[in-house]
Amino acid sequence: MKDAFLYALGVITLIIIGIDIQRIAALPPEAAQGTIFKIIFFHVPVAITAMLCSCVALLGSVLFLITKNFKYDALAVSVTEVGLAFLAANLVTGSIWGRIIWGVWWAWDARLTSALICWLLYAGYLMLRRAIEEPTQRATFAAVFSIFAFLDVPIVFFSIKWWRTQHPQPVFWGGGSFPPDWTRVFLWQMLAMALLAILMVSVRLREEESQREIDSLRRMAHSF
Amino acid sequence: MALFLLQTADDVAREIGRLQRNYEFLSYGLTAAWIILFAYVMMMLARQKRLKREIANLRAMLDEKR
Repeated sequence: MKDAFLYALGVITLIIIGIDIQRIAALPPEAAQGTIFKIIFFHVPVAITAMLCSCVALLGSVLFLITKNFKYDALAVSVTEVGLAFLAANLVTGSIWGRIIWGVWWAWDARLTSALICWLLYAGYLMLRRAIEEPTQRATFAAVFSIFAFLDVPIVFFSIKWWRTQHPQPVFWGGGSFPPDWTRVFLWQMLAMALLAILMVSVRLREEESQREIDSLRRMAHSF
Repeated sequence: MALFLLQTADDVAREIGRLQRNYEFLSYGLTAAWIILFAYVMMMLARQKRLKREIANLRAMLDEKR
């Protein structure tokens, strides 16, 4: 992607985030939980963004195995890395919310445990890539591992429906609702996180391009 | 009456304490999350810099060989 587009995307994202922070600060505290509830405006959008990243990683991995085109492998690794950062932010914000509401930093319930396993699986994916030198073998093994890792994503998503968990039911499909102005802020924050992820993935894709250039230059250097 | 006022003052102090703790932890949460994302961006930029340096070195080496 062109530099100008990336800079424009960055500026738009920063503006939306800035406006969102102002709007979130202006909202009144929630009746039962108080101010800490506002963490939901960060905790949930980063979780949804991380899940979208894992869906794109699955798509990239499957497409790589079918076509053997390295641009899909580059996409898979880029979204996985960005998704991992977002999932880490999700786990940390959730833990801090839990300390206030549950009185503990961590509970081994189905949602939290499956999300942690998901993070570990995708971290394993990145470690696996570092362990294999040969590019085709690395991309193939990584794609298979990514498909395997994705099996945990539906478990994370539906865990609060399938089991009785300490984690609260979702606001939107768990019978709850937000006031309209809260929903608006939430959706804007969702957009901001998605744009931030797109920006990060675009930058990360460039690194993959550079890495491929290095690989080809090394091959040329060896052939002399 | 005095007992009632004392109890009310206690309740108000407890509520203020709860609100402060709430704000404190909200700021911890948001700060931690932004630090994670910012650290990742910094890591990416550093890696990009290293890759560019490596490309320049390889090109220089190839030019020398030619």
